[in-house]
Amino acid sequence: MIRAIARRVASGAVVLWAAATAAYLALLAAPGDIVDSLIGDGADTPQIRAQIIAEWNLDRPAVVQYLDYLWRAAQGDLGRSYLLQRPVGEVIGDQVPPTLKLAVAAAVFGVALALVLAVTTRHRWARRASSAAELVIVSTPPFLIGIVLLSVFSFRFGLFPVSGDRGWAALVLPAVTMGLPIAGVLAQVLRDGLDRALDEPFAITARARGLRERAVLIRHALRHALMPAVTMLGWLTGVLLGGTVIIEQVFGRPGLGQVTLQAVGNGDMPVVLAVVVLAAAAFVVINTAADLAYLVIDPRLRRS
Amino acid sequence: MRRTRPAVAAIALALVLTACSSGTPQAGAEAGQPVSGGSLTWAVETEPITFNPHQYAQAKARLLVWNTFEALLTHDGQGGYLPWLSTGHEVSADGKTYTFTLRTDVTFSDGTKFDAGAVKANIDQFSVEGYNPAVLAVQLRNLDRVEVVDPATVTFHLRQPDVLLLDFLSSPQGAQVSPKSLKEAKNLKAGGPDLAGTGPFVLDHYTAGQEVVFTRNPAYNWAPANAGHTGPAYLDRITYRFLKESSVRVGALTSGQVQVVEGVPATDEALITANPQLSLSRGLNSGSAYAYYFNTAHAPFDDLRVRQAFREAVDVDAVLSGVYRGTATRAWSVIGPTSPFYDKTLEKTYGGDAAEANRLLDEAGWTARDADGFRTRDGKRLTVRLVQSAPFVRDRRDVLAQAVQAQVKQSASIDLNVAVVDQGTATQALADGQYEVFDNSRADTDAGAALNLLLHSGGAINRTGFTDPALDKLLEAGQAGPDQARRQAAYQQVQRLVVTDQALVLPLYAPADQVAAGTGVGGLGFEPTAGVPGSAYNLWLSK
Repeated sequence: MIRAIARRVASGAVVLWAAATAAYLALLAAPGDIVDSLIGDGADTPQIRAQIIAEWNLDRPAVVQYLDYLWRAAQGDLGRSYLLQRPVGEVIGDQVPPTLKLAVAAAVFGVALALVLAVTTRHRWARRASSAAELVIVSTPPFLIGIVLLSVFSFRFGLFPVSGDRGWAALVLPAVTMGLPIAGVLAQVLRDGLDRALDEPFAITARARGLRERAVLIRHALRHALMPAVTMLGWLTGVLLGGTVIIEQVFGRPGLGQVTLQAVGNGDMPVVLAVVVLAAAAFVVINTAADLAYLVIDPRLRRS
Repeated sequence: MRRTRPAVAAIALALVLTACSSGTPQAGAEAGQPVSGGSLTWAVETEPITFNPHQYAQAKARLLVWNTFEALLTHDGQGGYLPWLSTGHEVSADGKTYTFTLRTDVTFSDGTKFDAGAVKANIDQFSVEGYNPAVLAVQLRNLDRVEVVDPATVTFHLRQPDVLLLDFLSSPQGAQVSPKSLKEAKNLKAGGPDLAGTGPFVLDHYTAGQEVVFTRNPAYNWAPANAGHTGPAYLDRITYRFLKESSVRVGALTSGQVQVVEGVPATDEALITANPQLSLSRGLNSGSAYAYYFNTAHAPFDDLRVRQAFREAVDVDAVLSGVYRGTATRAWSVIGPTSPFYDKTLEKTYGGDAAEANRLLDEAGWTARDADGFRTRDGKRLTVRLVQSAPFVRDRRDVLAQAVQAQVKQSASIDLNVAVVDQGTATQALADGQYEVFDNSRADTDAGAALNLLLHSGGAINRTGFTDPALDKLLEAGQAGPDQARRQAAYQQVQRLVVTDQALVLPLYAPADQVAAGTGVGGLGFEPTAGVPGSAYNLWLSK
C-alpha cells in the first residue's frame, strides 16, 4: 500500500518536472525574447535593453536560468511576473478560487445533465432529438453559446448579472456555457455504454428475475456505462482549463484563463511555467481520482 | 479563431439588437445641475497592466490614472499648460532651467504632505536601476538634476533645452506618488491600493480580471482651473469593470447593468445612437496619426517614386468608409488633426490617383507583370510586407490592412503582404529589416514627442531607415522650444519634408475614443489635448 502511494507521488513529480521543462523549452524556442516582449511597441534603445536584461538577470546562459528556476521552484519560490511585477504565487493564487469555482460548477452541471439525458432519452424519438441537440451544442463554439445565453438571460430578461465573480447568480451563465458541451459529449458516451450493457447476458438475467426495465438500467447497466465515461476525466480537465480562457473573457470573470492568455502573449515565462505546473498537477490528481473511481465502480478490479 | 470573430460578433450584435429593442428603458434624466453622491459602474475594454502611474504605457488606462494621481501641470487644450499641483513656472533665457512654485495645501491620501521634496523623490525614483528605463532614456534624457530650493519651490536643471519637460510633467509618468509609498509599497511597480496619490479618488480595491473600485477622497480641494468644478468629486464611488468583448459591453449598457461604456466599435455605434436612452460621444486622440511608414532602407521603397505610387494607389476615404462605416476621421499628416502643430494645408494634396500610381511605377521600372497579375522588375515581384504584432492590433487594423491590400492590388498591381504575428516574431522581423511597411500611432500629448521617436535618425522607433541631418535639426529645434510659434514653424517644415517631399508615410486615420452612457449620467467628457475619456472627477448621477 505504502509502496503504491510512493510510486504515485514519484511519478507525479516526474510529470510536473517534464511539464515544466517542456514549457520552458517551448518558450525558449519561440521567436523573440522576453526583452522584446517587455519593450512591446514602445521605445527601443540599447540602453533600455541593457537595463531590462540586468533587472531580470537575462544575461546568464539558458541552462543556468533553467536550473536556477527549478532549484527555486523546488523551494516553493515561483519568481516574479515580468509583466505584472508581482510575485507569481500572488498573481496565480488570486485567480485559482474563481477558476476552481467555475470548473467545479461546470463539471457538476455537465455530468448531471449528461446522466439525466442518457437515462431518460431511451425511446426512439427522444433519443434522436437529444442526440441531435447534443451534437449541435458540441460543435458550437463556446464563445457563441456564451454570447447567446448572455443576450437572452442577462441583457433581455435581466435574470443574471453579466460579469464578475460575485455570488452564485454570476456563476450560473458561465457554468452552463462551459457545462453544455461537456454534457453533449458525455451523454453520447454514456448512451453508447448503456446500449452495449443492455445487450449483455447479465441484463437478460436481470430482466428474467423480474426487474423492471428502469431498475435494470440504473442499477446494472449504468455502472458498466460509467467506465468509459470515467476514462474521459482527463479530457474533461483539459476542456475545463482550456475553456476558462474564452468563458472568462466573455463574462469578464477573473481567473487563470485570462492570466495565462496574457502571460503566453507576452512571454511572461514565470507565470506560464507556474500555470503549466499547476495544470499538470491537476491532471495528476484527477487521473489518480479516476483510477480510484474504477475500483469503486467495478468490484472485479479490486480483487486482482 | 481570429478570423471567425467578426462573424460571431455580427451574430451577437443581432441578438443584442433584438434584446434592446424591447429592453427596459432607463429613467430618463433631465439635463440639469450636478448632484453629489451615488456610485457608478463603467465598463472598460482594457485592464491596466499596472496602477503605478510612473509605469504607465497604455493610453486606454489614462482615464484611471487621474482618479488617484495628479501632475504638476495639465494641458489646456490649446497647446499650453495650466498649473495643477504647481502654482506657476518660469523658464530661464537659455531654456535649460525650469523653476516651479508649488501648491502648499496639498496632501497625499496617506497623510504625507506634498512639497518640493516629494517632487524630487518622484523624479529621483526613475534613476533606480530597472524602475522604468524607457522614461529615463526618452522623457528624462536631457535632465541633469532636480533641486529643492525651498519646500514650495523646485528647479529642474537640464543638460540642453527641452520644452518636452513640460509635457512630461503633465503626463501620467510625471504624476506625483507619495514618497512614503515609493519607499514602502509592497509591489511598487505593479501599484495598487498601497500607492497613495493626491487625486479626487482613492483606489479602494482591485480584483484582477474583474474590476477596480475607487472611492471619493473627501479632503480633495485642488482641482486645476479647467477641471469643471472645485472641491471633492460628485460620486461616492466608481467601479470600472473589465469587459473585453465589445458586444458584451454594449449589452451590459443597454440592459442597465453598467451606466457608461468605453470602446464602442464602429459596428456598434448605430445601436447606441438609435436608442434615445443612450448617448454617444467621441474624442480624437492626440499624438501621431495611425499611418503606414515606408522602409527606405532597401528596394522597392528606397525609390521615392514607388513610395508616392503606393500612396496614390490607395483611396483612403473609400477604405475607411468600408472598414469603419463613416465613423473614422481621415488623417493627412503624420501628426494628428487635433494637435496645434498639425499642418492643415497638407489636406487633399495627394492620394487616390490610380493613373498617377501606375505612371510612377512604370517610370520606376516596374513594368512587367507576372502570372498573378502583379508588377515585376527584373523578374522580381513588387511585394511589400506589413508585419503586425497581434497583441497591439486594435481598431480592426488587421481588417483595414486587408482593405488596403485589395486596393493596391486592384489599382496598381502592388502585392501588399500582411502578416499578423506574435510579438516576438514581429520584433524579430523589424530587427532583421524583413518589412517594407511599418504601421504605428502614438498617443503622446505633445506630437513632438512622437515625432522624435518615429522620425529622428536616433529615434527609438524609427523604422523608416530614413536619415537626414536637416530633419534631425528641425526636430531638435521643435523640442528645444519654448517659443510656441517657433515650434510650430519647425514642425510645419517637418511635415512638409516627410509627407510631401519624401513621401515617407501614408497617414490613414486619427485614432479616437468612443464613450456611450445612459442619459442619467452627467459630466462625461474628454481630457483636453489628450482626447481620451477624462477621469471620474466630473461624473455625476441624476437622482
